[in-house]
Amino acid sequence: MSLIEINNLKVHYPIRSGFFNRVTDSVKAVDGISFNIEKGQTYGLVGESGSGKSTTGKSVVGLEKVTSGSILYNGVDITSEKNRKKLNYNRDVQMIFQDSLSSLNPRKRIEDIIAEPLRNFEHLSKNEEKMRVLRLLDIVGLSVDALYQYPHQFSGGQRQRIGIARAVATNPKLIVADEPVSALDLSVQAQVLNFMKKIQREFGITYLFISHDLGVVRHMCNNIAIMNKGRLVEVGSRDDIYNHPLHIYTKRLLAAIPQIDVDHREEHREKRLQIEKIYQEQSSKYYDQNGLAYPLVKVSSMHSVALPPQEAKKYSEKEVEV
Amino acid sequence: MKQTGENYEEISTEDLKRLSKQAEKEAAPSAGRIIWNEFKADRPALIALVIVVAFILFVVIASLFINTSKMMETNILDYFDAPFKDGFLLGADAGGRSIAQQLIVGSRNSIGIALGLTVISSTFGIAWGLISGYFGGFVDWGMQRVYDFMMMLPMTMMIIVIVTIINNYNAVTLTLIFSCFYWLGTSRLIRSRTLAESKKDYVAASITSGTNPWKIIFREVMPNISSLIIVDTTLSFAENIGVETGLSYLGFGLPAQTPSLGTLIANANDPNNITEYWWTWFPAALEIIILCLAISYIGQVARRAADSSQRKSNK
Repeated sequence: MSLIEINNLKVHYPIRSGFFNRVTDSVKAVDGISFNIEKGQTYGLVGESGSGKSTTGKSVVGLEKVTSGSILYNGVDITSEKNRKKLNYNRDVQMIFQDSLSSLNPRKRIEDIIAEPLRNFEHLSKNEEKMRVLRLLDIVGLSVDALYQYPHQFSGGQRQRIGIARAVATNPKLIVADEPVSALDLSVQAQVLNFMKKIQREFGITYLFISHDLGVVRHMCNNIAIMNKGRLVEVGSRDDIYNHPLHIYTKRLLAAIPQIDVDHREEHREKRLQIEKIYQEQSSKYYDQNGLAYPLVKVSSMHSVALPPQEAKKYSEKEVEV
Repeated sequence: MKQTGENYEEISTEDLKRLSKQAEKEAAPSAGRIIWNEFKADRPALIALVIVVAFILFVVIASLFINTSKMMETNILDYFDAPFKDGFLLGADAGGRSIAQQLIVGSRNSIGIALGLTVISSTFGIAWGLISGYFGGFVDWGMQRVYDFMMMLPMTMMIIVIVTIINNYNAVTLTLIFSCFYWLGTSRLIRSRTLAESKKDYVAASITSGTNPWKIIFREVMPNISSLIIVDTTLSFAENIGVETGLSYLGFGLPAQTPSLGTLIANANDPNNITEYWWTWFPAALEIIILCLAISYIGQVARRAADSSQRKSNK
């Protein structure tokens, strides 16, 4: 059984308008996505801004109200608040936020920030609690001085590590990392990412890693899902996505990764322009009349792509032959 | 990694205390310290603070030595005594009552009511705004419709009607009646800031940390809008002095035998008093002007302390 099973998850926001403030339409932030996260792995969720990846992440930690669909954690549906309470769900599932400054209460000292989940889920004595906080600070590489300081006294990378210390405080099984490094500069990014990998090895944490940076995702993730306009367009292993992309949106995203290769600059440029041309020509084929992606079709055991119906038929026939 | 982690368990309690103290020294300045620095940088505001505090203390202490019922007795021989005559420092009114003594007791009454009104209405308004803004949805809808209804009522007229209906009222009941109507502005202000504040990630982080909503409202969100609360409370105190004074001036405030700043100013209703017997109303009017001005200076310091870009002090 997978640690997390997401089935046909939908998060819609109503748009109200008119004289009686009726619901006239809805923003389909997440529109029917399904994927599974296995224990111990890092699952990458990639997409442009506004594609619904953060909303998915927030639904998984229980911050977002789900319109329909289910999220099973060890077989229990945690979209209902009652189930989450019964399970002490957030003791096992924590979140790392994108903006490290706004995710730390500016009026609280680091000690109180890191101890917050401990105080709610594990009732420790004062001294035990302090020791745990000190050990967490040590794990994330901060000194004891940090204990009584306030968030604004730290650099961006340090703050993000404080956020991580808070997330790992209760030894969670799953951490949803919502663009944890996109606000950091490159050297600090590497530092935080390697650090996240290290604690994964130590504590066996599962990550749902949300990002738009394909380079970072390649470094971190075993399995990747590409999201576009609230739907998944391609799901597969790292190899499937990076070496055998099938959907034009994935190809376009991959072409956008900057390459440091001055000698072949022109060639890369050509290639990029070509992919962009193909995208412009074929985008009507790959998206339905509403501009949304088609349902996923299994291409191999791990790899699924939202292919247009004609091409999807080819694959489904093949599967029958096999 | 785990080994170095375990080293921390060997830290003794003394070490922990020492480290705590050391770290605390380097901590950011508290809100109180920032405000104090701001006062030191702004001399007029410091003077205003001294005036307000000294005046309130003087009025409270001095009124303990004044026998109010004796003071309010009519003494026809002292009819409109001019200042410094017959030992009346500020003269006497039509009933031969000492203006100076009335001013002291009246100030105590007026400031006491304003203070009580500020405490009660601000507390209620802040709680109302915080809860309404944080929970949103149906809770917010319901609470805001109550607000709209209260807003629609003609406030001054309602107070006058209630005061007329109730026969026996004193300073305490009057404060409570005022409080029913004066929490509105505060609650809207606080709600709007809470709406913005509760969308921030640290609130989401607290929710995922399993903290209960009430604790988030009053321990996480409220401290973060404390600067706004301080500014609003200070300024509404200045405003609230005017509330009781205005109503007493109209004759619907405190009962006639209880002096207040409003009843003293009401002396100016008589054209004779305005031209000839200026001492009956002028000191009270002057006092209100100085007091409100001073408090608004203090409010401005609080405002500057809350917004770091406006600060005058370098620290």
